[in-house]
Amino acid sequence: MKTAIKTVDLTKKFGDKTAVNHMNLEIYEGEIFGLLGVNGAGKTTTIRMLTGLSAVTDGDAYVFDLDIKKDLQKIKSLINVSTQETAVAENLTVKENLKFIADIYGISDEAAKTSMQNIISSLELGEVQNQKAKTLSGGWQRRLSIAMALITNPKIIFLDEPTLGLDVLARRELWKVVQSLKGKVTVILTTHYLEEVEALCDRIAVMTNGKIKALGTADELKKSVGKDSLEDAFVEIVEN
Amino acid sequence: MKALAFASRNMKELLRDMISYIFCLGLPIVMLIVMTLINRSIPQMEGAPQVFNIEKLTPAIAIFAMTFLMLFVCIRVSSDRSSAFLTRLYASPMKSSDFIVGYIVPFAVTGVFQTVITYFCGEMIALIVNGESLPVGYMLLSIPLLIPSIVLFIGIGIIFGTFFNAKAAPGLCSAVITAVAILGGIWMDIDTMGDGWKTVCSCLPFYHSVQYARYAMVGNFDDMLTPLLICTAFAVVIFTVSVMAFSFKMKSDKK
Ligand SMILES: Nc1ncnc2c1ncn2[C@@H]1O[C@H](COP(=O)(O)OP(=O)(O)OP(=O)(O)O)[C@@H](O)[C@H]1O
Ligand SMILES: [Mg+2]
Repeated sequence: MKTAIKTVDLTKKFGDKTAVNHMNLEIYEGEIFGLLGVNGAGKTTTIRMLTGLSAVTDGDAYVFDLDIKKDLQKIKSLINVSTQETAVAENLTVKENLKFIADIYGISDEAAKTSMQNIISSLELGEVQNQKAKTLSGGWQRRLSIAMALITNPKIIFLDEPTLGLDVLARRELWKVVQSLKGKVTVILTTHYLEEVEALCDRIAVMTNGKIKALGTADELKKSVGKDSLEDAFVEIVEN
Repeated sequence: MKALAFASRNMKELLRDMISYIFCLGLPIVMLIVMTLINRSIPQMEGAPQVFNIEKLTPAIAIFAMTFLMLFVCIRVSSDRSSAFLTRLYASPMKSSDFIVGYIVPFAVTGVFQTVITYFCGEMIALIVNGESLPVGYMLLSIPLLIPSIVLFIGIGIIFGTFFNAKAAPGLCSAVITAVAILGGIWMDIDTMGDGWKTVCSCLPFYHSVQYARYAMVGNFDDMLTPLLICTAFAVVIFTVSVMAFSFKMKSDKK
């Protein structure tokens, strides 16, 4: 399998606080990779470093063999991110928001049109497509925010707690979308819903205090601590 | 292309907000009308200040109106900076030059449009109230000459928006708006205010902006040159600082 992301002793410090501590991780092309951990474990900080939003303190990371310290500009056009906070332009409509992101990633009008149609239908944004983002409810803004990460057809997509604030139906829709990416797009997903991880992720890393505590498939993690449910396994891994 | 897409987003954000129309277009027009009415209601004595005469008032108000551009660009930048939306743009392939161009262009276009409207309104008032036209040829000629002033005010807005948060930044802009009103010689003749006062005014770009706009309006290009050059120099410096400030902040935000 080809490597999409490789981190080498990747470290982030905020003053005395080490948010990510010598992380060594390899994520393969086309896999859906789950990043689990309690609040403050360092998931968002990891994503921020890998997307160029936060400077690396120590160590390094490679995205398709491109060095995030040197080739960030090249990397940026290959990836996209749905941040933990909803991020939309309030006075633009749903369609305008999508088109705007496509434009700043240099996607051709033709390609943008096709992928806009796909996304609008897969995330069921059709009925609100001409509505200004600020008039949408929180969950709908969230969907738009995720759609804006998908519109550029990235090779790697980072989804930081994508299903936060989504209703059950919307969550299921998003699961379908993520599943349809499997094998084509590398997905790095964080979430606090363990059933989501089980439904979607090929492999899972459990982080505590900025370190990877366990890594494997859901079954492997359960087996490693002798638990039947992922939730019990997670608690066991985090607490010991 | 990226800069243009961002400029178009900023233009839409501006045009879809009612408040922009009130301040950027409504206020200059209202000020022109009100000041003309006041001017007419006070008896004209010999040697009274001429600043309220329509050919002096119109360019001065055009400059004053630019302070609202400054306020709006400042609010745009500071509120973007506090939003997750800008984070998303930081993760995109946009470069800092794309951001700067994207912020400046829509506000500069608005500034030119605002000046045209203000001048048109001034001409209407001149025709209706005084029964004589302003020098329309010079007036049209002077509009592009006002671009350095537009850049100056937008630059100040970007600097404030870059360094201060969405709560503090508008307050600072209000301070500049007041300073322009008082030190720009819009409502009073600086020459009659004493040397100390005049020195303060001359150290800031605003008085020069108003001066050269007034000279340009009547085609007095000889007297216009010095204040125009001073103002352009200020504009170049402020613009450079604003670009550096934004790029610097963009890097330091990645802590
Ligand atoms: N800008 C910052 N300045 C100082 N400390 C920070 C900053 N950003 C994150 N941290 C700290 O780094 C640690 C990891 O934070 P991070 O946001 O990565 O956690 P997380 O795993 O995403 O948590 P959550 O599940 O709550 O989103 C936390 O202790 C946090 O307080
Ligand atoms: Mg987080």
